Amino acid sequence: MNNAPASPPVGAAASVESRWASPEMRARIRRRYGAERRFKAVGLIAVLMSVGFLAFLLGTMAWSGLSGFSQTRVALPVDFRGSGLSIDASSMTKAEAMAALNQQGLGDLLQLSATSAYGAQGESYFGTAAKESAAAAIYDDPSMLQRQVELALPATSPIDVAAKGEGDAASEAAVARLEAAGKLSSGLDTTFLSSADATDPTVAGIWGALKGSLLTMLVTLALAFPVGVLAAVYLEEYAPKNRLTDIIEVSINNLAAVPSIIFGLLALALFINAFGLCQGSPLVGGLTLALMTMPVIVIAGRNAIKAVPPSIRDAALGVGASRVQVVFHHVLPLALPGILTGTIIGMARALGETAPLLLVGMRAFVGGTPDGLCSSATVLPMQIFLWSDEVDRGFVENTSTAIIVLLIVLLSMNAAAIILRNRFEKRW
Amino acid sequence: MTTEPNTAPKMTARGVNVFYGDKQAIDDVSIDVYRDHVTAFIGPSGCGKSTFLRTLNRMNDTVAGARVTGDIRLDGEDIYAPEMDVVQLRARVGMVFQKPNPFPKSIFDNVAYGPKIHGLATSKSELEGIVESALTRAGLWGEVKDRLQDSGTALSGGQQQRLCIARAIAVDPETVLMDEPCSALDPIATAKIEELIHELRGRYAIVIVTHNMQQAARVSQRTAFFHLGKIVEYGATTDIFTNPREERTKDYITGRYG
Repeated sequence: MNNAPASPPVGAAASVESRWASPEMRARIRRRYGAERRFKAVGLIAVLMSVGFLAFLLGTMAWSGLSGFSQTRVALPVDFRGSGLSIDASSMTKAEAMAALNQQGLGDLLQLSATSAYGAQGESYFGTAAKESAAAAIYDDPSMLQRQVELALPATSPIDVAAKGEGDAASEAAVARLEAAGKLSSGLDTTFLSSADATDPTVAGIWGALKGSLLTMLVTLALAFPVGVLAAVYLEEYAPKNRLTDIIEVSINNLAAVPSIIFGLLALALFINAFGLCQGSPLVGGLTLALMTMPVIVIAGRNAIKAVPPSIRDAALGVGASRVQVVFHHVLPLALPGILTGTIIGMARALGETAPLLLVGMRAFVGGTPDGLCSSATVLPMQIFLWSDEVDRGFVENTSTAIIVLLIVLLSMNAAAIILRNRFEKRW
Repeated sequence: MTTEPNTAPKMTARGVNVFYGDKQAIDDVSIDVYRDHVTAFIGPSGCGKSTFLRTLNRMNDTVAGARVTGDIRLDGEDIYAPEMDVVQLRARVGMVFQKPNPFPKSIFDNVAYGPKIHGLATSKSELEGIVESALTRAGLWGEVKDRLQDSGTALSGGQQQRLCIARAIAVDPETVLMDEPCSALDPIATAKIEELIHELRGRYAIVIVTHNMQQAARVSQRTAFFHLGKIVEYGATTDIFTNPREERTKDYITGRYG
């Protein structure tokens, strides 16, 4: 059997068998298995590489950013008796009370106390953050104005950074002394999560940018989702298939690939120069990002609608449903998971977008939390960009922490997409 | 079993041509469909029988480039007239497709969908009554009455097809078109559908397209043999199968081609 001729005559049973067992055939089989093994190995390497990069990214961010959620506090004994400070906590709001305390010289009192407790250099331990924290503590418990108390107040940036292990020599020494005296403590940095940008890194917070991002996304979603879905439905279900719709399809596909900075220029010319809308606001930012997100939603929506089996349309038409009823009762519900996935992908891209927002004025320093769609605001990636430019060491930490916040927002958006998709997904 | 109808035809077609773009799929077809009779369309694949069936409730309207000429009437009303409402027409001329295509909704919602969109029920209990009677007539009530909220797609193929029939008759149509309703089913499920067609006969005019000549012989009273877009022969089923007038019909029935 093994010594059969190379090209056996067709039809002879023995030679057919030998054809399958010939050395050429065995070599071919070996090559086939080899190709399969190689392909599997290459695929595995690719997956491991992406997992490695992701782990590295998350690891670095967590390593340098997580400490930003905590703040270093230094204990400060303060004697309020005879200081002349007084507030009426029952009739004042917190902001009013804090302003009043500032005016009555709370800052000077704190500096005085710092000097008497820690010597001349004690002044450099406490800054704006300490003053605000002390004022808030007094507002919460006005009775302390009648006695001597020891307050744990947020340290200034150099001390904070040194306590976390990256400060200059002088600050390191100060931290070592405070540490030995048991005057250092740390706690959750609520300021970072509740305040807006500031020039002092211990006072600067992420909430302003986060709220700006949320408002901007709201505008983007409210505009891009309905317009994108309706355009997709019209193009798939109603539009005649002709040259014009071909051109429209190509244009939409190209629009999705246009660099985002171009959308920024378009928005600058259209929304700000032509319409005169409020510059640097979530409204204009959201409109800009909506322009960018819409084609993504249209493309995802069209693909999802295309994937709905024609038999479902036939079935609905067959019992006498109108075109609109077919679309809204059957096609859209079945296409919704796909549309939602596309929408979330588009929104995630918009959330991380910085370039077009540079051009519509969202890169200004905004020291307050936006309270409406038309007030000045910045967004998370822009805040990261701005902070990464700062020289103060405290801002390096803030930058990493802001990146963690941005990633958390992105991951929760993706989680929401998966949950929504699973809820609406139906099998047929 | 009467072989010659003694009532006026339910649907009439005269000189019907169907074009897909430049290609002519149906060539000068004329036929009468009677209410008391099941009419079967037989013929080799691609002969146009499904295409012609879909002209009877204007399902071809949804196909891009399809064009129908000629005259098709339902109870004397021209269904291609501009004033004919196609949504209403499709409620009056129901359709069952080749592949069972229940909506991915509950069994109840599948059947209730038609009555709901046409406003046939004024109350929930009336709607439930319609669903029950449609499922009963489709011979499915006994099997699904305890799980009406289960998904229609979870049923077996045969049950799905009967569900589709229930869905079609729930809007109380005058004619039911069936496009190879058993081609995706096993013999037992096929037998059930055929039995069902027997029971529905007389209540609705039924037109069934089939590849299976035994099935045409079993369920229909009248048979039309299509070939290359034309009707070669149309008459009583017993005549077509025992005594065909045309040579081509005879060749097809005896299995010489097809």
